[in-house]
Amino acid sequence: MAKKGSYDFYLILATTVVLAGISLICVWAMFHFKLAGINLLPPAGKMAWQERMNSIVAPFIVALFVLLGICVPKRLLPVAWLNRFAAALLATALAGGLWFGVRIGLLVILIAALLLQLAVLVLALAGQDFLSFVKKGYWVRVGSSLVHLGLVLFVLDLYFHRLPALHLLLFWVTTTATVSGMICCFYAEGIARLLGRKPEPD
Amino acid sequence: MTGLIDLQLFQALGRPVMLMLLVLAGWLSLAGAINLLRSEPWREREARWGLLLISLVFLLGFGLIGWLHWRINRQLPLELPAQLADWLNRQLANANRSAAYGLPLYDPTHPPRYVIPLWIENEKYYFWFMGYALLALLAWRRLAFHRFRGGLLLLLGIQIGLLYFLADPFAEPLPKFFSEIAPWFSTQLAPMPRIGLFMKLYPRMIFYYNAHYMWLHPPLLFVAYGCITLTFLTSLFMLARRQPEIERLGYEAAKFGYLLLTFGMLLGYPWALQAWGPNWWWDPKICSSIMMWAIYSTYLHTRLYANKPAMWYFSSFLGILCFAAMIFTFLASFLFPGEHTFQ
Repeated sequence: MAKKGSYDFYLILATTVVLAGISLICVWAMFHFKLAGINLLPPAGKMAWQERMNSIVAPFIVALFVLLGICVPKRLLPVAWLNRFAAALLATALAGGLWFGVRIGLLVILIAALLLQLAVLVLALAGQDFLSFVKKGYWVRVGSSLVHLGLVLFVLDLYFHRLPALHLLLFWVTTTATVSGMICCFYAEGIARLLGRKPEPD
Repeated sequence: MTGLIDLQLFQALGRPVMLMLLVLAGWLSLAGAINLLRSEPWREREARWGLLLISLVFLLGFGLIGWLHWRINRQLPLELPAQLADWLNRQLANANRSAAYGLPLYDPTHPPRYVIPLWIENEKYYFWFMGYALLALLAWRRLAFHRFRGGLLLLLGIQIGLLYFLADPFAEPLPKFFSEIAPWFSTQLAPMPRIGLFMKLYPRMIFYYNAHYMWLHPPLLFVAYGCITLTFLTSLFMLARRQPEIERLGYEAAKFGYLLLTFGMLLGYPWALQAWGPNWWWDPKICSSIMMWAIYSTYLHTRLYANKPAMWYFSSFLGILCFAAMIFTFLASFLFPGEHTFQ
C-alpha cells in the first residue's frame, strides 16, 4: 500500500510542475509584451492580447484547481480513502462539467475543497490529533489550516472575479486568513508563550 | 515653488548626511572584506559601532525626508478660485456617477493637499537600504561569526555606494513630482486651463500620491527585500559550511520577509483595481513578483527538510535563486514596459 509520504511527495511534485509551467508562461509573456510592443497597441488590441494569454494559462489554472481539490483532504483521510475520494471528486466534477459546463465542474471542486478545508480548520482549532500534518504544534496546525484556507479562498476569489462586490469581500477574507495563518505558523512559540500554553514541539 | 518648501535647505542638509553614509560605508566595507578573508575577527567592536552609527545617520536622513514631505503638505495645496469650485464639483459629481471609484468633491475651505509617502522616486532606495541596515544590526547581534558579519557589512557598503552614486534622494529631490506640479505653481493660468490641469493632477493625487495603499504596499515589499538579501547571505554561507545557527538566522529572516512580501503583494491588488481598473493582469512586474513569491514559498517548504544533506544545499540554492528573482523583479521596472515601470 502506498504511504501518505509518497502521496504527499507526488502531489507536491505535480503542484511544482504546474507552478513552473505558469512561471515559464509569465516569463515568455514578459518578453513577448516588450518585443511585440503590446503596450503601444490601442486598448482593444491590448485586451485581445490579455484574453489570448488568459486562454494559454487557463489549462494550468484548471490543473491547479484540480490539485487543490485533491490536496485538501489529505489532512483528514487515510491514503486508500484519498484515492477513492480523488476519483469520486474528479468524476463528479467531470460529470458536472459535461452536463453544465466547465465552470460548474470547477466550482464543484472548489466548493468541496472549501468545505473540507473549513472542516480541517475547525478540527485543528479543536486540537484533534488525528489530523495529518508534518508539524505537531497546535498553533502551527491552526496557522497552516488558515494559510491553506486562504489559498482555497484566493482561487475561489479568482473564479468570482467578474462579480466586483463578492470579489473584493472574498479578497479581504482571503488576506485576513492568509496573513493571520502565517503569523500563527511562523511565530507559534511566541503565541503559545503569550497565551501561557505549553511550548510548541518542533 | 521651490522657495515655498525650502528645497535648497533640504539639499544642503542632505549633502552631509549622504557624505557621512558614504564615509561610514567605505570603512565598513573595508572591515567587512578583511573579516571575510581572515580566519580571526578584525576590529569587530569598531565595526559594530560603525554599523550602529550608519543606522542612526540613515534615520536622521529619513527624518529629513519626512520634513520635506510635511513642507509639501503644508505649502503646496491645489487651491482653486472660489468661483470655479461650484462648476468643478458639478463636473466631478457627474463623472462620479459612472465611475467605479469616484473622486472626492472639491472643498474650498480645505483644498486638497499632498500626503506623499516617504518612499517614492529615489527615496524608495533610501528606505529599502535603511531597512537592510537595521536588519543587519539585528543579524549582527544574533550571530557572532566574524565572516558572516563581514558579509553583512560588505553588502551594506555596496548598497550605500549605489545609493550615493545612482539614486541620491537629496541631490535632486522628487524630480518627477515637482516637474508634474510645477505648471500649477509657476504660471498664471486662465480659469479653464487651470481646471484642465487640476483634473490632470487631482486623480493622480487621490489614486497615487495620497492612496492609503501607497503607505503600506511599497514599504512592506522593501523591508521584505531587505530580508531576502539577508537570506541570500545566509544561503551563501550555508553552501560553504553546515552551521545550524546560520540556517536558523536565514529562516528567521525568510519567515519575516515572506509574511511582509505576501501581505504587501496582496495589498497591491485592490489598489490596482482602484487605480487601473481590472486590466492589470500580465503586467511584467506582477508576473515577475509572482515568480519570486513562488520561489520564496518553495524555499520555506524545503526548509522543513533542511536537516537532510541534499535538502540543505537545495534549500540554500533556492535562497540564492530567490535573491536573483528579486533582482530580476527590480530590473523588470527598467527593462519591460508596463504599469509599474519607468519605460
